[in-house]
Amino acid sequence: MTGRWFPDEMPVPAASAETAGWWEAAAAHRLVVQRCDACGTTRHPPGPVCPSCRSAAASWHAVPGTGTVYTYTVVRQAFIPALADRVPYVVVVVALDGSGGARLVSNVVDADATEVTVGMPVEVVWEDMGPELALPRFRPRGTPSEPS
Amino acid sequence: MTARRRQAVVVGVATSDYPHLPGMSEYGVHGQAADRALADAGLTFADVDGLATAGFFPMYATMVAEYLGLHPLYLDETNTGGSSFEVLLEHAAYAVESGAAEVVLITYGSIQLSQMGRRLGTGGGGGGGFAPGPSVYDSLWGNTLVGNYALAARRHMHQYGTTAEQLAAVAVTMRRHAGTNPQAQERDPITVEDVVTSRLVADPLHKLDCCVISDGGGACVVTTAERAADLRSAPVYVLGAAHATTHHLNMSAMPDLTVTPAAQSGPAAFARAGITPAEVDTAQLYDSFTITVVLTVEDLGFCEKGEGGAFVADDGLAVGGRLPTNTDGGGLSACHPGMRGMFLIVEAVRQLRGQCGATQVPDARIAVAHGTGGMLSTGATVVLGREAP
Repeated sequence: MTGRWFPDEMPVPAASAETAGWWEAAAAHRLVVQRCDACGTTRHPPGPVCPSCRSAAASWHAVPGTGTVYTYTVVRQAFIPALADRVPYVVVVVALDGSGGARLVSNVVDADATEVTVGMPVEVVWEDMGPELALPRFRPRGTPSEPS
Repeated sequence: MTARRRQAVVVGVATSDYPHLPGMSEYGVHGQAADRALADAGLTFADVDGLATAGFFPMYATMVAEYLGLHPLYLDETNTGGSSFEVLLEHAAYAVESGAAEVVLITYGSIQLSQMGRRLGTGGGGGGGFAPGPSVYDSLWGNTLVGNYALAARRHMHQYGTTAEQLAAVAVTMRRHAGTNPQAQERDPITVEDVVTSRLVADPLHKLDCCVISDGGGACVVTTAERAADLRSAPVYVLGAAHATTHHLNMSAMPDLTVTPAAQSGPAAFARAGITPAEVDTAQLYDSFTITVVLTVEDLGFCEKGEGGAFVADDGLAVGGRLPTNTDGGGLSACHPGMRGMFLIVEAVRQLRGQCGATQVPDARIAVAHGTGGMLSTGATVVLGREAP
């Protein structure tokens, strides 16, 4: 991805004890989902207990960073002032491969909005928003890598 | 001889002035609606021993109680978003049936439209600073409220072949109903073509797939059938109610974006009322967006899952159609001040009393009010009837 996709004025997350691991992994460009140590159920967003068995024991499970578009929308009217000049952009729900059914809300970048379809294969691409914050976004799978 | 079970009834309903109230405060709207609903019931504030309302900060009902000069024995401020007032009515029914209260006043007031003008630049929320906790997993990626419903609409289109024209049919019917409501915010007739050529807000939802933004409110009065016997108007019976939730605000946590909590609350409410969806004469359904209605008619069991698009098309929701819906013009055209659930109750009661004029459903005996809150996160169904169960 060339340059910054969203502007610096975007809100930044406030991590808690239960969610810090997800943000720390993301900062290192590792995509993870929380997985229950007791029953193996995965979940996203991260939370304090397993929604399936209520165990508080959980680990961060690395996923390959590929997936398919479960659904998407092209946002054409920004309700966050920082994004007023950024529309249109694609918000997507990605069904993550190897995640035990977890989904992630993200964006599709490096693609024209009209090219995005439900079921389209995508792969993660990282955007560094600051020294401790990187956000996973997705591009159509098979997009040639940028020259380094 | 055994004592007869206490039965909850609605004995008064009212809407405030709407849709634009630049000279009123939020609490003024509560007061006006409460005054009118009590007058409709033939009661006074002195008869009220329970108060229920929902707003956007803690101790909200306490604030409204102070404003109205009430010192109630029963207080409820459950907030489930747009479905709040159906939940509050369900709770009020339990309260009067248990004897915890005799007369519960439920009020709603909002000046969302006027407030937007007074808070220039921040009306859309967000921007800078720390993202609010629970929705950070959506908002950081620029997802919007309309975007959430658009994600559901796109998935429904993919799975079931639902079309933009079918969604548009909901807006067209609501606008036709609004044309008979002198208070409605938007009254000029529109066509399917008008909807699908209006500006896209979040693909596939166009501007005319989205509700209006209004000022307004309403109120209703709940008591027992025994007490209602001495009152002026015919009581409307609370036959059954239920509510449910599937997730909070993150769409990644919604188990299936084509199935709303109505799939749980609907069957539970119908079972408690002892009826089937086929017995419902008219429905007042939360219509934040056109897709909200399509999902709701499926989940409440008025048609099979996936057939909602065909069900709402071709005047399916018009008076005389498959399910006369939102006979006041709904949130899509008449009034949507943020949490519209109270309007659904008011219109359902008016239908059962035969007070709906041009959009009256002939001989309406059973009406359903169903609220949807959050990001398709909560659903609350109330079944109302003209006759005692």
